[in-house]
Amino acid sequence: MAVSDAPDLTPRPTAERSRRSGRRILPIVVLTLVMIAGGVIITQALSTAVDYYCNVDEIGVRSGCDEDRRLRLQGTVAEGSVVTGTVATIFDIEFNDVVVAVEYEGEPGGIFRECLPVVVHGVFDTESGLFLGDRVEVKHSEEYVAVNDDRLSEAEAMACQPSA
Amino acid sequence: MTTITPQSLEVPARRRGTGTRATRIIGLATIVMIGWLAVFGLLISPADRDQGDSVRIMYVHVPSVWLAYLAFIVTAICSAIHLFGRRHSLGVDRVAGASAEVGVVFMAVTLVTGMLWGRITWGVYWQWDARLTTTALLFISYIGYLAVRGLEGTRQQRARRSAVIGLLVVLEIPLVHWSVRLWRSLHQEATVLGTDLDVSLDGLMLFSLFSGVVAFTLLFIWLVLHRSRMLTMIDLAGERALDEALASRISEGGEKRA
Repeated sequence: MAVSDAPDLTPRPTAERSRRSGRRILPIVVLTLVMIAGGVIITQALSTAVDYYCNVDEIGVRSGCDEDRRLRLQGTVAEGSVVTGTVATIFDIEFNDVVVAVEYEGEPGGIFRECLPVVVHGVFDTESGLFLGDRVEVKHSEEYVAVNDDRLSEAEAMACQPSA
Repeated sequence: MTTITPQSLEVPARRRGTGTRATRIIGLATIVMIGWLAVFGLLISPADRDQGDSVRIMYVHVPSVWLAYLAFIVTAICSAIHLFGRRHSLGVDRVAGASAEVGVVFMAVTLVTGMLWGRITWGVYWQWDARLTTTALLFISYIGYLAVRGLEGTRQQRARRSAVIGLLVVLEIPLVHWSVRLWRSLHQEATVLGTDLDVSLDGLMLFSLFSGVVAFTLLFIWLVLHRSRMLTMIDLAGERALDEALASRISEGGEKRA
């Protein structure tokens, strides 16, 4: 067998290998940094745009929560405020002692009831001042309480928690 | 010269399965734990004050998403071992692929159970809020990862490409988990793994949830073991098919010369 035909199996120099592995890692490091930078931009700069709702007390105060635009308003359904009519359901939602009256055409779905936080989609009626909702979503908290928990009296269970 | 014939590549029939004594024990433990979860989740744990019986969806929904996270983290760790390890092992690449496949299934279960719970509790199946959108993005990213694994190329090329993607898409997990803290979301904040470490969950509910996590973890291990072994067999079958084709071509050449 001719020596010149044999493949060169001499191990590559270590420095060359380290340069090659460095070249392999570099794009990953760059891409990771780009993704982290993207994440920071999304979380910081676009927070108002990504937030799902405005709280009731932020109407006309917070950017993106202007009264003359379509809003998603979050607040707790005020105790004793729900009036169910044949066409519409009227109720108040409150947050930090600010109250907005809502008129929703139809019967809200989910587990809607007094004292639970809800998100209402809709617009303000400039004449009546009512918030005309076309969608109501119940926003459940992260708290889970057994239905027959002896530690809670019925009154305590039904009482509205202060929203904050 | 050694002649390769199809007969010499035959694998003994008794070694064709993916099960072992260990996987059978894990499988049995999984069945027992799922039965245990069904009893606690459906019968013993109480209904929720606000949600009623729909709270029981949580015992599948929450373990599913945790296991999906775990599966994707396992994929990322195996990807790193493959990419930066000296041997560039294809074995760990197969575990990465198997774990991602199982993770996608768990994530699909998470999305379906979440939508069912959302319809009952919120009143809608889906909303494009921060948590739901980032979860959907994570799900689609891993479907993309699996698609990349199916691209043409050698097994080493497949392993290298998918390892890079596996290391990048795992970065979405913190974004999904913390999305409810970073932004206002219709989805509630974490009940168990929140920042204050205060568990706002009834005792029996927490125990049922824990049972779900144990059952799903066993299921995950069982599925990944079987699937990674199956992927090994698929790769071996591919090699064998190539060897058979080569042997056939060599024998054809021999016949012509003769």
